[in-house]
Amino acid sequence: MNETLDTHLQELRRGTVVLACLQLLRSPGYGYGLLEELERRGFATDANTLYPLLRRLEKQEYLTSEWNTEEARPRKFYRTSDAGIRLADTLTQDWLALTAAIATLTDQEN
Amino acid sequence: MTTKTTLTERYIAETVKSITPTAQDDVRAELAASIDDAIEARLDQGEPRDDAERAVLTELGDPAILAAGFADRPLHLIGPKYYLTWWRLLKLLLWIVPVIAMVGVTVANGIADEPIGKIIGEAIGVGISTMVHVAFWTTLVFFVLERTGADAGARWTVDALPEVHEDGTGRKDLIASLIFLGLATGALFWDRYIGFAVFTNDSVDVGSGLGAQTRAVAILNPDLWPWWIGGALVLIGAEALLAVAVYARRSWRPMLAVFNTVLAVVFAAGAVYLVATGQLMNPEFLDFTLYRTDVPGDVGRILSVLLIVGIVGVGVWDIIDGWLKTRRAQRAAQ
Repeated sequence: MNETLDTHLQELRRGTVVLACLQLLRSPGYGYGLLEELERRGFATDANTLYPLLRRLEKQEYLTSEWNTEEARPRKFYRTSDAGIRLADTLTQDWLALTAAIATLTDQEN
Repeated sequence: MTTKTTLTERYIAETVKSITPTAQDDVRAELAASIDDAIEARLDQGEPRDDAERAVLTELGDPAILAAGFADRPLHLIGPKYYLTWWRLLKLLLWIVPVIAMVGVTVANGIADEPIGKIIGEAIGVGISTMVHVAFWTTLVFFVLERTGADAGARWTVDALPEVHEDGTGRKDLIASLIFLGLATGALFWDRYIGFAVFTNDSVDVGSGLGAQTRAVAILNPDLWPWWIGGALVLIGAEALLAVAVYARRSWRPMLAVFNTVLAVVFAAGAVYLVATGQLMNPEFLDFTLYRTDVPGDVGRILSVLLIVGIVGVGVWDIIDGWLKTRRAQRAAQ
């Protein structure tokens, strides 16, 4: 029973991590920092999901990356590209439309 | 390597080893930084280093899964895009290829006059090994397709919908069965009293009537009358009863399938026995055909082998068909 509940929640949340990453990375960020930031903002994600996701988005050219070697620990910083910003806007609009649609559903129910 | 490497180093090495060389250094450096960051965060909370390292790596999970994520590799043999195409093709090939291979090896062994035990054993062996080969190579092709992302070119359309299954219990099936059995009975009598094979004693003069110049010879051995042919007629009658029973109940039943199996086995056993002992054909007919001096001696034996394989094949199919229909009927009844 709990397992099916988990599956439904997981399916509903799938994709929100992508949107959250694109929005957060409008200012540059690196893997572990982003992981903590996501957690703090309520998009809890596993490290082994996030790291491959960042690479995939980079490959799809929604993110750009740059190595920062100024600090003691060199880190790869990602930033949302122009295409990524457009994608984030589209996804956000869609999310808002869905939210509105679900709101009308709930209103009718009550 | 003599120095003991840390768990983190081993973890990273295991992860990057299956990633394309161009991306390896990048992934290695980034993953190292991420792991160090995560360990540091735990150290800040007062965890001992060893525990922190273990916890971080455990959370990252199996490095092979992580590597598949980095390389965008599927973690399944054949995914939903190809599964149905693979399964349909595999079923089709498994119906066709092993049967052909088994018939082929049986015919070859029969012609080579191998003992019956060896013929059966080799047929089974070849059947099994062909199935394994078919399954392996088909799956391998789809394994490669899955990873190269090629288009299998199979789109589903409504035209692919099969007809609702004919269950072989309708009036048309009954009539077809009875007509066929009637023709078979007629053929037995025609062969006995008139003869199917027509030969001339000499060259034919087309200017005059043909009947006087030719004579008809029975193909089946007249010595089979009355007992063997009588038995065949009883079997034909039993088949007719079976067809009527199936029609009357509008459905196949296990009892009917058993009856059908018995009939098929008895018929095949009798026919094979007659062919194998050389009693089936009319010697007079053979004199005009196989025993002519210009026919090589092996032809008769080869034809016998083919005939036996054909008789057994038809019998086996008849049995399987009966049981398939029975199972279908039982499923439909549920």
